[in-house]
Amino acid sequence: MWNRIKNWIEIRIGLDDLVRTQLKEYSVPRNINIFYTLGVVALAAYIIQAVTGFFLLVYYIPHPDHAFRSVQGIMTVVPYGWLFRMVHIVGSNLMVAVVFLHLFSVFFMGSYKKPREMTWVAGGLMLLAVLTFCLSGYLLPWSQLSYWATTIVTSMPTAFPYVGDFASNVLRGGEHVSGITLNRFFALHVALLPPIFVLIIGFHIFLVRRIGISSPPFGVSGEAKRPWTEYRHESHPDGYPFYPDFVLKEMFMVMVYLAVMFLIIAFMPTLFLPQDANTPADPFRTPAHIKPEWYFLAPYQMLKFIPSKFLGVSMQLILIVIFLLWPFFDTKEEKNILKRPLLLGVFFLSLGLWIILTIWGEYS
Amino acid sequence: MKRRGFLKLLLALFGSTSLVSFAYPLLRFFAPPGEKAKAKQISLKKAEISSGEAKDIVFNNMPVIIINRPDKGFVALSRVCTHLGCLVAYDKTKKRLLCPCHAGTFDLEGKVISGPPPRPLPKVPLRVEGESIIIG
Repeated sequence: MWNRIKNWIEIRIGLDDLVRTQLKEYSVPRNINIFYTLGVVALAAYIIQAVTGFFLLVYYIPHPDHAFRSVQGIMTVVPYGWLFRMVHIVGSNLMVAVVFLHLFSVFFMGSYKKPREMTWVAGGLMLLAVLTFCLSGYLLPWSQLSYWATTIVTSMPTAFPYVGDFASNVLRGGEHVSGITLNRFFALHVALLPPIFVLIIGFHIFLVRRIGISSPPFGVSGEAKRPWTEYRHESHPDGYPFYPDFVLKEMFMVMVYLAVMFLIIAFMPTLFLPQDANTPADPFRTPAHIKPEWYFLAPYQMLKFIPSKFLGVSMQLILIVIFLLWPFFDTKEEKNILKRPLLLGVFFLSLGLWIILTIWGEYS
Repeated sequence: MKRRGFLKLLLALFGSTSLVSFAYPLLRFFAPPGEKAKAKQISLKKAEISSGEAKDIVFNNMPVIIINRPDKGFVALSRVCTHLGCLVAYDKTKKRLLCPCHAGTFDLEGKVISGPPPRPLPKVPLRVEGESIIIG
């Protein structure tokens, strides 16, 4: 029966040829390492978010009078609603972590260099899209934490003269965060961001396949050291087949991701759900000691100690632009970061600063 | 002009016209209606706020705090922090207003003492008439 179905498909779309040319004959470098699986882990994380997000949509009511109660209902009344919401919450945090790690490893391997500048920019845009997903999703439970986090974020454009107030009001749909803001963020979270994200992922994967996976600069590499003066596919003729060798490694890492997720859900369920996340929004009381999620602690702390609001917000925007366009700033051909002490120093200094600001933000 | 060139020109013309004609409606669509709350006066009894105490009220959709300063009498200030919009809270012992989000502090006149807020808290018109406090 199975063979008949397979044969039916084979005649129509040539599945065997597709698997042979696109998976088995598609090679990955000989010295590839485990960090190269993070892209697929991020993709799996997004799929999990999309599926659990759809489940939550079945019961969620995007109205300020009902949003908090509907989310509490998902957690306490709907059978296994807690499981899907917890997977969505923990998954969103882990997804940010995986995309961060993916970008760190790409930076460390020098894989953003010519001809892969656009692949890096698409990856950077994906991180920004993930953070926008997190921000817009944060408001939906209409809790104290979500209300005030959104108040802060939507006030950020006011740092800019002339257009700032207007931009803030457009984001919020008024002078304050209200039901209109909830509807805007809901529309952004479930209708606008998903197709944008899928488009960026599609473009990113297209570039990876079109150019070929980059070789790590460490270990024995079969990569030809020819200059990139014209388009060519980096085929790695002495490498390993993508399928089944590398796909198995990727699937193993997806299992590790799931294991970490369920470990957190089972043993640390309140890790990403502080008390203010379980208190309904009160537009007339900002909770004491309010803090953002771990990935926004560093920019939060920056805003705290930089005395000028304009300077604080502008500096963050400049850092984002530098990060996105990094391949165009670092145009040296040497991929091995260990042979470039200055770049290595900048990398660890930036990482150290980010960690210090995050810890400072948490305990300040 | 050849037919293909003419078609390209038409396409550019119609395309840009369509884009431009949707830009303004789109901007207006997302911009808030801009309805301002009507200015109403609020009256409170002086006895409601004893010396050194404060009371939170909502005036024209704006969270406001009325403080009865032991030395200078009543003052009404907006509670919306001028940094990023969180609501300040009154610290009775330190006689200060503190923003819980980015640790901005203000004195009881609304002036910035420390932290990132760029401007003082706006004052709300207040007058005392007999035993009443009139806001607005």
